[in-house]
Amino acid sequence: MKKVLFQILVLVAVFYGMWFGLSKVDWLKIFKVEQASKKTEEKLGELFWEVFSKTEKEVKNKKVTLPVDSLLTKLCEANGFDRKEIKLHVIESDDVNAFAFPNKHLVVFTSLIADSRSEAELAGVMAHELAHIQKNHVMKKLIKEVGLSALISITTGGSAGSEVIKSMAKTLSSTAYDRSLESEADMKAVDYLIEAKIDPAPFADFLARLGKDEPEEMKHLTWISTHPESKERSEKIIESLDGLTYDTQPVLAPETWELLKEKVKE
Amino acid sequence: MTTPNTFVYEPGDHEAEKASNSYLMSLIAVVAGLPLPIINLLATLIFYLGNRKGTYFVRWHCTQALVSQLSLLFINSTGFWWTISIIFTSEQITSSYIAYMFTAIVFNVAEFIATMYTAIQTRKGIHVKWWIYGDLTDLICKP
Repeated sequence: MKKVLFQILVLVAVFYGMWFGLSKVDWLKIFKVEQASKKTEEKLGELFWEVFSKTEKEVKNKKVTLPVDSLLTKLCEANGFDRKEIKLHVIESDDVNAFAFPNKHLVVFTSLIADSRSEAELAGVMAHELAHIQKNHVMKKLIKEVGLSALISITTGGSAGSEVIKSMAKTLSSTAYDRSLESEADMKAVDYLIEAKIDPAPFADFLARLGKDEPEEMKHLTWISTHPESKERSEKIIESLDGLTYDTQPVLAPETWELLKEKVKE
Repeated sequence: MTTPNTFVYEPGDHEAEKASNSYLMSLIAVVAGLPLPIINLLATLIFYLGNRKGTYFVRWHCTQALVSQLSLLFINSTGFWWTISIIFTSEQITSSYIAYMFTAIVFNVAEFIATMYTAIQTRKGIHVKWWIYGDLTDLICKP
């Protein structure tokens, strides 16, 4: 019996030893897995934006796009992200919403800007979406929702029509990520904001305030309905700030912020 | 991995054929069982149950064919569910996954060759004892 147990132990050791040894090789590089998934993401981003831009109206007014761009640039530069990689779109809509598409598309709705009481609130939501982009949550969510095989078939010119892409784009813009991914994005957003010298507390206030709104007023608050448990999340952010000291500096001049709010309300 | 041994008695031709078939059963099952590893075990288990009352030589080899499936059952099941989770959930392909698959393939190929060799030898009436599983069978299967 002892002999058999010893032999089993040796077999298990050989198996794990071989597995451990082989996992030291960078197979992803050898099989170009990362390159392939990057191409899939690029193609998906292109397809999504193509379909989405047909149904929505993108704001081209520089008085609106430039201040939003400045906030994003500040967040990117302070955190060492390549700003050029992120495609920012401001969309005219009554929905209070912001979301990310594959291949680093960041979409902000005008009503979100109108509902933000300060640039820090808007920057907070943008930092949260930026975290989803940087942490690859967008592709993780899509793979979970529709499966890797479906995504590859769409990007390689499979059977998917524009309806399928449209419904997938809707999934990204109007359904929540996993609670763990949301929580990770919140905490990352706080880090990004502190690095960019933007106060993270208003982001928590924004969550708390929108979480408190009456149900009838909720119908346009898409960002909140897709980001549930706002109150708990707000409390968690406040908790994480406890005892932290950080500098803050305004990104936009007060009049630029006011003008932006005025323009989006038009 | 496998060593020819002398059995306690000289098996007859009909016994050698039956014993050899137990390995053939697992060889056929490997092909069907790759996508669903439990099939391997079920196939040899059914053959084992069918020959439970056979002669000692036949019983011994049916038991060895059955227990030799155990390690592959664990290895292949893990590989199978890991692959499923990559295809259908947010789990991603990692170097660790590819390394696991290579290791699993090596173990499968080794077992396949050993099974084939044992099936041929047993058909000739030669008693082949596998490393680990031979001793384990000795513990389970008594004359």
